Amino acid sequence: MQLGNDEVREAAMEARLVLTDLELERAVKFINNFLSMLDRFKELDLKDVESFRFAEPARCPLREDEVLPFPNVEEMLAESEHRSGALIRVPRIMGE
Amino acid sequence: MQLYELTVQETVQGVRSKKFSASEVFEASMAQAVACESRLSALITLTVEKGREQACAIDAKIARGEDPGPLAGVPVVLKDNICTRGVRTTAASTVLGHWSPPYDATVWGLLQDAGALLLGKGNMDEFAMGNTCGSSSFGYTANPWDLTRVPGGSSGGSAAATAAGYAPFALGTDTGGSIRQPASFCGIHGMKPTYGAVSRYGVIAYGSSLDQVGPFARTIEDLALVMQVLARHDFRDSTSVAGKGLDFSLAPAALKGKRVALVKDFEGFSLAGPIQEAKKRVLAVLKEEGAEIVEVELPTVARYAVACYYAIALSEASTNLGRYDGVRLGYTTGSSTDVREMFEEVRSQGFGFEVKSRIIAGTCLTDSSRSEEYYIAATKVRALIAREFEQAFKKADFILQPVTPELPAKIGDAHEDAIKGYESDLYTLPVNLAGLPGLTFYVGHSENGLPVGLQLLGPRWSDAELLSAGLVLEGYLGKPRIATGGVSE
Repeated sequence: MQLGNDEVREAAMEARLVLTDLELERAVKFINNFLSMLDRFKELDLKDVESFRFAEPARCPLREDEVLPFPNVEEMLAESEHRSGALIRVPRIMGE
Repeated sequence: MQLYELTVQETVQGVRSKKFSASEVFEASMAQAVACESRLSALITLTVEKGREQACAIDAKIARGEDPGPLAGVPVVLKDNICTRGVRTTAASTVLGHWSPPYDATVWGLLQDAGALLLGKGNMDEFAMGNTCGSSSFGYTANPWDLTRVPGGSSGGSAAATAAGYAPFALGTDTGGSIRQPASFCGIHGMKPTYGAVSRYGVIAYGSSLDQVGPFARTIEDLALVMQVLARHDFRDSTSVAGKGLDFSLAPAALKGKRVALVKDFEGFSLAGPIQEAKKRVLAVLKEEGAEIVEVELPTVARYAVACYYAIALSEASTNLGRYDGVRLGYTTGSSTDVREMFEEVRSQGFGFEVKSRIIAGTCLTDSSRSEEYYIAATKVRALIAREFEQAFKKADFILQPVTPELPAKIGDAHEDAIKGYESDLYTLPVNLAGLPGLTFYVGHSENGLPVGLQLLGPRWSDAELLSAGLVLEGYLGKPRIATGGVSE
């Protein structure tokens, strides 16, 4: 499978990225070389193969779903350029 | 001998016995870092005040007769994707700006409790995506043995700092070789633990099912000391495995009667002369120690591991890096009038091209129209690869193999075609796909003064056995020296 400029630009938009023309050209070349490498998978019969998982899931005890206070709220909020008091203010999300 | 030249073990003994203080050790390490840094650029942040405070606290504990911990007074460099509360953590990316995390990564918490002192945060490829340290937004790190060459990556700053004597040990992360490859390029030892042995909590994620934290050091015993502190269950990381109780007391006769395998399917691949020589030398040592040399077959690994690894890593990265939008932390822009425009501006300006291209590739692979063909297929190939390693470890206790096909490249000599660069990771990344432990150990130097290392791999949870074997090899091959590549002249 090979992708064109429009398909790569669309994937970039899904990832919230806008590429310059030069970046788009490089990205298309890279992604198509990459997909060519992945075409090797077609040599394998994977129909009855299960996806990989680590062997020890049962050994990982799940903790209780318990709400714990986060002690450093002030430090966390201080890292946002968009802080407004105890909240973070962002630009308009939808509509007017 | 200067204090900065001491190993972890020697430093701890000296500090605990009051031969010298933690503060003296820290000042010596900091002076070495300052003397070398203009040539090496191994650090993104030098944490002078933090380290001094910690050193004073250790000295005060000792004065009060309290136990200062198993790593008392030992300076450490942390790769800059390991969160340090109140200390800038960048992942070498503009998108994180001057972010100071409000919490510590578990590994840093464990090291602090053990008495380690933070010297600085190591340079790295942006979000750990690279194998040269060249995609860092903070510029290149140089190889301390030859300043015109790369230190490897992505944990190149941590490796270079350890090799140049900034600190006797450092932490890196290894998603596809990012500890083992720079350890080899910088002439030191590096350990990638079994997936699940060391907590990933507070480590900035690249490929979550592949990432693992591990140490660099200049002796195998030092790696073991650090691993003893790090390898424990953490309830805050759901992939951290409980109940393993790994014991890193090393066994002195670890190679006698062991089956050490060479991989038949790698034998025809091109390998630089000094690496071939190193392999011959190590095989001679193994035979002398009474190990049996056997052969195993890994055909699926040889043919499909690179494609499988990058399909999974980039798919996971596209999800993991979706969180950087400039709202809660990091780089932001002030001009946007709607939130989508803001996200696009922040991400397009904040990420470098290597990261952007990997995010977009991962987005393509996980798109519902293509995921069965690529991402799901890769997870199945991964299962075949893990099974192949399981079979191989029925015939062998360890696998011996190169770390890279070549010695460190000149800075700027990157592969024109990124995919060719990815293929040079063939020897390191299968380990991450199968969740295995891997040890890069120092073998020697080539005729032109570049260090050469090799890798020893073992089955899952054989971390301590690998280090025991490494200790025997170190006895023959010698311990890594502090780099003398013109770094501090």
